Amino acid sequence: METQSIQNNLEQREVLVKVKRYSKERGEYWQEYKLNVDRFTQMTEVLRKIKTEQDPTLAYRASCHMAVCGSCSMKINGEPRLACKTLALDIVKKYNSNVITLEPMDFFPVEKDLVVNLDDFYGRMFKVKPRLYPPKEFMEGTAEPRLRPEDQKELWKFAQCIWCGLCVSSCPAVKIDPEFLGPAAHAKGYRFLADPRDSIYEERLKILVDSSWRCTYCYQCFNVCPRDVEPVTTIKKTRSHTKFLKDKGEVARTGEKHVKAIFDSIKETGKLEEAKVYLTTYGLATAIRDMLYTMRNGKVGFAMIKEKKINELDQVRKLMGE
Amino acid sequence: MDKLVYDAIVLGGGLAGLMSAHEIASAGFRVAVISKVFPTRSHSSSAEGGIAAYVKGNSDPNDDPNYMTYDTVKGGDYLVDQDAAELLSIKSGDIVEIMERWGTLFNRQPDGRVALRYFGGQTYPRTRFVGDKTGMALLHTLFERVSGLSVDFYNEWFALDLVTDERRVVGAVAMEMKSMEPYLFLGKAVILATGGMGMLYAHTTNAYINTGDGYAMALRAGAALKDPEFVQFHPTALYPSDILISEAARGEGGILRNNKGERFMARYAPKKLDLAPRDIASRSIMIEIREGRGFPGNYVGLDLTHLGESYIKERLALAYEAAMNFAGVDATKEYIPVRPAQHYYMGGVDVDITGKNGDLQGLFAAGEAACVSVHGANRLGSNSLLETLVFGRETGQAVVSYLKRAEGSSSTDIQKEAEKIVNDAYSFVKSETGVHFGEILNKMRNVMWEDVGIFRNEDLLKTALSEVEKLRAQVKNMYVTDKSKVYNTEFFNALELRNMMDLAVVIAKAALTRTESRGAHYRTDYPERDDKNWLKHTIAYLKADKVEIGFKPVTLTKYQPEARVY
Repeated sequence: METQSIQNNLEQREVLVKVKRYSKERGEYWQEYKLNVDRFTQMTEVLRKIKTEQDPTLAYRASCHMAVCGSCSMKINGEPRLACKTLALDIVKKYNSNVITLEPMDFFPVEKDLVVNLDDFYGRMFKVKPRLYPPKEFMEGTAEPRLRPEDQKELWKFAQCIWCGLCVSSCPAVKIDPEFLGPAAHAKGYRFLADPRDSIYEERLKILVDSSWRCTYCYQCFNVCPRDVEPVTTIKKTRSHTKFLKDKGEVARTGEKHVKAIFDSIKETGKLEEAKVYLTTYGLATAIRDMLYTMRNGKVGFAMIKEKKINELDQVRKLMGE
Repeated sequence: MDKLVYDAIVLGGGLAGLMSAHEIASAGFRVAVISKVFPTRSHSSSAEGGIAAYVKGNSDPNDDPNYMTYDTVKGGDYLVDQDAAELLSIKSGDIVEIMERWGTLFNRQPDGRVALRYFGGQTYPRTRFVGDKTGMALLHTLFERVSGLSVDFYNEWFALDLVTDERRVVGAVAMEMKSMEPYLFLGKAVILATGGMGMLYAHTTNAYINTGDGYAMALRAGAALKDPEFVQFHPTALYPSDILISEAARGEGGILRNNKGERFMARYAPKKLDLAPRDIASRSIMIEIREGRGFPGNYVGLDLTHLGESYIKERLALAYEAAMNFAGVDATKEYIPVRPAQHYYMGGVDVDITGKNGDLQGLFAAGEAACVSVHGANRLGSNSLLETLVFGRETGQAVVSYLKRAEGSSSTDIQKEAEKIVNDAYSFVKSETGVHFGEILNKMRNVMWEDVGIFRNEDLLKTALSEVEKLRAQVKNMYVTDKSKVYNTEFFNALELRNMMDLAVVIAKAALTRTESRGAHYRTDYPERDDKNWLKHTIAYLKADKVEIGFKPVTLTKYQPEARVY
């Protein structure tokens, strides 16, 4: 068997790197650097070369250069990414241009150049009590904390969050809803919520459930996560625990009603009757208020559409486990 | 300068630092952890393959802590202090069980117990693992655990130097990177848990942050480094980006092949083959390449293809992913291109098995920053994660008992000393013209790689020594163009370079002094191990601009040196 000769592919190519810079003294400005890269050059290496060979004043974070430490989060051609996990020429190819733009992550306040303030992010992570609280018997060694291989596999997927902040920087719900913990904290919280060896299940539920109903399922966290943690999946899974929560807040109650309304609607007609679901979820008072708004905007016709049942309703009900 | 007062100060937030902080805080003492990065970004996160442990009731029925000690001693080419290796082996099971209880998601056997696999130089398989992200899994578990205790974290704070009073450490000066404001941290004990120094070498698997800060701070404060000539090269770094392809790849059955497809390790280690220790595998690869049996571009192939796709993707996920993302190679179908790169530093701050340094009272070190010595001339794979936790804990406990009897207050004017440290840091970079750190850095990294690398000899080392001495002198004329008062990373990079240069001269001098070949220190002009003259530790001090070399006996208990054959 032959490994292809990598050397033949080491030709250099010039790229133009535009960095959005910021300092207290100078404010915000763009700066350009030209340098040669080959097909293996990681964006962290691009930054290191700029810093050691051209401009030592450029500030950025980077540590492991192998996508396990989460330091080098930034926006590359507008996409939230880890610089180490991004090859310069892949970006050139993708955008069909030798210009690469680097900007600090969104959402977090910029301190200097590509360095942002992550205090808010860490605060969210610590809110979910990110550590196992094992039962006494484990700590005293009177019980052996075995774990089934399939549980290990499931938990490990969600435990691989590297605290990089990319998902939060790209999350629209976090930006408008201060009560939403954000995708990373949910992944972290669920990793412990689902651990059969943890002893503070109730407390975790109380922290996580209300927030989990504030996610808008836009899947941005799913798209940008460099470790494929799928925070949105942990949010879905957390919602399914709502039924175990004793004192539900307003948001969780509405959420539960919403899910039930959808279920009933599909069971009844095989379709999602938006108007009816809306009415059941939010109640008459809210629905009337919103109806007035809808009327003012001339959209009331949509809300009044009468849905017919579908023909093969039995099969749908079978799928739903009837 | 403002003062912050603690019982103990830990420099470094990786596994060793966090474990010692855990012990100190649990005993009720006030402890600060100062790290130049957020703790989960420490280099511990990059450790891949696993953590070696003999766990009673869950090990190979023939295995025993004595075998583990023996493997470690032999692997280290008999430069290991055997009492330290014994302690490491005996405590290994406890450590894995502790981490297990704290929630580390170790891979499992079908019955739910922690799984194990082979690593280089092991008589029986005893490496515990979390896929090939074991370091990340352990680091997150421990950081999250310690974040629930009353430990004060100073993240993104850069430690400039230790503060000493006669022969005692009384604290450290550190600067908040965000505000560039220096603070004096006072404490009766300081633990250096600052990790390794890979950035001294042009090719390294280490993180960008591994610049040997702790070694240099210890040297400048008057403490010795032990065995500084011993630099480990890992045989399988991905070509050309030097990302680590874990030894687990060979532990799981990966085979090294040259351009003819030959399993060339059969020539160099007929019994252990691809699972020979790292020094032997690294030299073997270099010989294959030099003799024309490498692939164009100078690398060899790591063949995993026979392991099967699902096995590779589950147990060697990171290796698969790295090969795919950074070399465009599908490891389930093709060889992974690999070559050796600097990986680990066996040398370190001279400490005993409690982590205590003998030169300065109150100074402790743990993890890669320390030389206990459990790795001797060559570290076995999966012993470094183990060392960070076992000796992080031992050191933490030693600090607790030290704090119980340590006296406070000191005579000299500490404030003045602290101001001098800040002025020194600024002075070497405050000129308005001169060289930038980058120019010196690149030269040093190449000299170290070419002349103080896998193969060494007198000529190379003499050239290297005079070259690094010259570069070190240039550092004094360095200048920093960035005048910003927020995250002035140029200033910190310059300070890192100062640290690296202090260490580089010590390594080059010690390597020149040791006229034998042992473990990772391979002299082509002295190819044999020489127990008669060199079964001893090197002890190096840096006094002004002069490296002073002394020696210390190796502690032998049960194992007499024998030829190291694999």
